[in-house]
Amino acid sequence: MTKKTNKKILIAGVIMLFVAAFISFKIYNKPHIDVSTATPNVSMKAGILLAEFLNDETEANKKYLEQIIQVSGTIAEIDTNKNGNAIIVLRKGDDIESVICHLSPEENKKTSNLKIGQEINIKGICTGYLMDVILIKCTITN
Amino acid sequence: MKIFNILLFGLLCSTLSFGQGKFLTKQGYTSFFSTSPIEDIKADNNQVLSIIDSSTGNVAISILMKSFMFEKSLMQEHFNENYVESDTYPKAIFKGQILNFNKLDESEQIVTITGDITIHGVTKQIETKGKITKTKENILLTGDFPVTVADFKIEIPSIVANNIAKVVKVSFELDHKPYNK
Repeated sequence: MTKKTNKKILIAGVIMLFVAAFISFKIYNKPHIDVSTATPNVSMKAGILLAEFLNDETEANKKYLEQIIQVSGTIAEIDTNKNGNAIIVLRKGDDIESVICHLSPEENKKTSNLKIGQEINIKGICTGYLMDVILIKCTITN
Repeated sequence: MKIFNILLFGLLCSTLSFGQGKFLTKQGYTSFFSTSPIEDIKADNNQVLSIIDSSTGNVAISILMKSFMFEKSLMQEHFNENYVESDTYPKAIFKGQILNFNKLDESEQIVTITGDITIHGVTKQIETKGKITKTKENILLTGDFPVTVADFKIEIPSIVANNIAKVVKVSFELDHKPYNK
């Protein structure tokens, strides 16, 4: 082997190393899904989503966990959590269970003109069912 | 006379049970923190469901594993898919009791909480101290306790073993309000 080929191999090796480092850095810093720009995987009435969880939680978990869901429903409560982020509760009439939407901090300003009883469309990531169906990182779509 | 006695008994019961209902939060906070020489990892969850029965001091807490938010989405992915396997075990649950609950006054006090915690399908008995402030309007419960990852059959691959602590710190802040339903 000549010195020239040795040098070529060395350069190729160094380049490959840089590429590998760059790719792993990119993977390591992969950003979170931006719900506001993402297209929902599924769109439905809040009441139907809730009914599916009440009927068979395991099956609903398989279908909806970590999915971006757009729900439409009636605002029953408007609340904030301890960090000041808005929470919108969608519930029908005298039902006990609801769909609880935890809004992204960017959405907080939009809640000031919302009213209880108003119809609304919200999309967010479903993380499961406790006493209610939980959606997080929500954005208001209408 | 008999009817009078029954009425009196009924009245007594209603006075005793006054203000002894359930307190609840659906937006409780919990986090865990792992520190290692290589990196610190923290995840927050603001969707904790916690119920205190104020007549007994019994506590029931449910946590959705998918609700833990990490700084890096890759960490969140690894946590859900490889470590806690949240598709199979979507919830962590605690059922227990706040000891000497009925002796509390309205100032902030240290209490002992004991019970069973279930993570990743494994149940362990735990006992921890927490701070509690109990008034008529709310019950605020805060604290933290260590969780040994291996106790819950959570396997950390050797390649990242140095990035993740063997014992992680779990913190909680649960502000319960009276529940009227």
